[in-house]
Amino acid sequence: MKLLKFSRSNRTHILAVGVILLMAVFVVRLFDLQILQHDYYSSLANSEQVRQLDLPAKRGEIYMMSGDAPIKVVLNETVYTVWADPHVLIDANAVTAAVTSAVGDKAVSNVAELLSDTESRYKVLAREVTSAEANKIKDEHLYGVGFTAGIKRVYPEGQLASQVLGFVNADGIGQYGVEGALDDELKGTDGLLKTVVDIRDVPLTIGSSNVNVPARDGTNVVLSIDRSIQNKAEEVLQTQLKQIGDTATGSMIVMDPNTGKVLAMASYPTYSPEEINKVTDLAALNNQTITDPYEPASVLKTVAFSAAIDQGVIEPDTTYQNKGWIQVEDRIINNASKPAALMGEITMQTALNWSFNTGAVTAAEQLSLDKTTVDSQARNILYQYYHDRLHLGERTGIELQGEAKGTVVAPTDVQGNAVRYANMTFGQGLNVTSLQTAAAFSAIVNGGVYRPPTVVAGTIDDVGTFVAAEPKQTNQALSSSTSDKMREMIHTARQQFGYNNTDPEGYYIGGKTGTAQTIENGEYTFKQQTGTYAGFGGSSSSSPAYVIVTHVFMKDTQLGGFDAKTIFDPMSNWMIDYLKLAPKG
Amino acid sequence: MPNRRTSYYSSRRHTQMNRNYNSVSYVSSVKLGPITHTVLVALMITVLGLIYLTQATKATSYDYAASAVDGKIAEMTTQKGDLEVENARLTALQTIKQSTVAAAMTSPSDTTYVNQ
Repeated sequence: MKLLKFSRSNRTHILAVGVILLMAVFVVRLFDLQILQHDYYSSLANSEQVRQLDLPAKRGEIYMMSGDAPIKVVLNETVYTVWADPHVLIDANAVTAAVTSAVGDKAVSNVAELLSDTESRYKVLAREVTSAEANKIKDEHLYGVGFTAGIKRVYPEGQLASQVLGFVNADGIGQYGVEGALDDELKGTDGLLKTVVDIRDVPLTIGSSNVNVPARDGTNVVLSIDRSIQNKAEEVLQTQLKQIGDTATGSMIVMDPNTGKVLAMASYPTYSPEEINKVTDLAALNNQTITDPYEPASVLKTVAFSAAIDQGVIEPDTTYQNKGWIQVEDRIINNASKPAALMGEITMQTALNWSFNTGAVTAAEQLSLDKTTVDSQARNILYQYYHDRLHLGERTGIELQGEAKGTVVAPTDVQGNAVRYANMTFGQGLNVTSLQTAAAFSAIVNGGVYRPPTVVAGTIDDVGTFVAAEPKQTNQALSSSTSDKMREMIHTARQQFGYNNTDPEGYYIGGKTGTAQTIENGEYTFKQQTGTYAGFGGSSSSSPAYVIVTHVFMKDTQLGGFDAKTIFDPMSNWMIDYLKLAPKG
Repeated sequence: MPNRRTSYYSSRRHTQMNRNYNSVSYVSSVKLGPITHTVLVALMITVLGLIYLTQATKATSYDYAASAVDGKIAEMTTQKGDLEVENARLTALQTIKQSTVAAAMTSPSDTTYVNQ
């Protein structure tokens, strides 16, 4: 009972009581702080000690093919915004000199003036400064100068395939092309770091509520576009369009008809994604091959003949009476040319060679019950081939932003009458994109298989391995025998008028022209016509290696399929060399 | 030995096991009162607290090391990205076209195929 003895001491007793009271005060105060005001102080501490940082995901890079190897054509570069705090600067002149000499034109024009505003705490001196340039400034050890890192999209190939690639806007959102269509895949998912930090914002592992969700970087996409083919396509397109006229515009698609892969897709005018702020004509941003539906005209006679042959109602050597015109209900449809020697009985092949509208309409009439009208049965069959089997007038689903649907009027529609369907047999009375035409034409010549076009060949995984994309679902649009006959018909049609005189010997090349009136103020006009050419080539008559579709247009000018063919010819010959196709024989 | 006291006692165990031995214990002459005990306990708690703080600081020092490594990784990643961009620019078609090597190239005058 030493404690009892101890308690008998007055001084000790007083001390003990004092300590107890003091402790009681502490306990009460601590109870107040830690229990009653827990939430307040807890949030106060969190606001000072805990930082929530977004971990930005790295945007996926975009590759093109260079032969068999993917190469980067859109990359990310770390760039810096250089800023200064004029209020604390020691030597403004030194800062001005260092910044202007290190970054040149990237510096704002009035650095010295900005730095003279000593009341300000933040002035931007330069933007989009590279790491190397930033390091030059850092080496000067200038007090009051800071750097904020950011990511810039880099396009080392300049304007190559710009309308296919698209661009990323100031908010980091993909616009147009692949950047727009695959924005969700490319941008990835930002991560989150919620942690206690020290006074320098260094994350510390202490604390029980730290959160660390790593960022998931965007997918690296490999395009089926071949860099060399794309470059050549743009070069040929621009050269030929300049020969046609200064204001001529146009497009070209190069496809592999056996896979549906788009090898090149060029439109003119064009732009450079790195100089998007210099674009004055917004039309340059459009990929005309997918955004601008139009009437491709006689190129689509190949579809009408395919339908009739596939249904077994005509053969290439089937004959009909050509009068130079044909009546459909109350309308007279004329041929564009009426050579006297070809009046009377001619074959369907001849009709295709001369691009006679009467031949295409007659082929459609053969699908009807009475073989003399474009009745509902004929219209239903045509719609089945045009729309359901060859997917004209519907989006192809290509991985590009802004694809237009086009229009193929159904026979059930009040507008889907005999006259419209007669017009559709020679590619008018409907609107389709060049890409839809290219995909349908590919099916006609590749054995009859419709393959949805694609610009994506695959992805590059985390370890840099190429992973091929899953092939899209295909459909047998035509029988292979129909395709064989059509391929030969189109090959023969190219011999007409010496259209094949630039073709190298030993190769199997075919093509069809299309010349369409355009609509002005709701009426067709002859003074402004567009031209289209769809062709294929290869060394074998049974397996075309490429399909090329070209389109030209110039305001208030009568262009035609022949003008579009001047773009096809050099591109076709170049493709033969590039693909190392050996001549047959 | 003024600060020691010798006492003799006989425990049950000693009685049974070590009958002929003496048991010796030393008792300090310094007496620790309750305040001293309290102070000692407080000191022990303080020492334990210091040990905890040392460990916590040690863990934090690892955080600084990790942060430094993260910074280095970020720097190296940036450098790698810069090099890739530079490489892409150097191998761009426009750059290749303007090279002296490309300028010296000529088109083949004739092509033959082995299967002909």
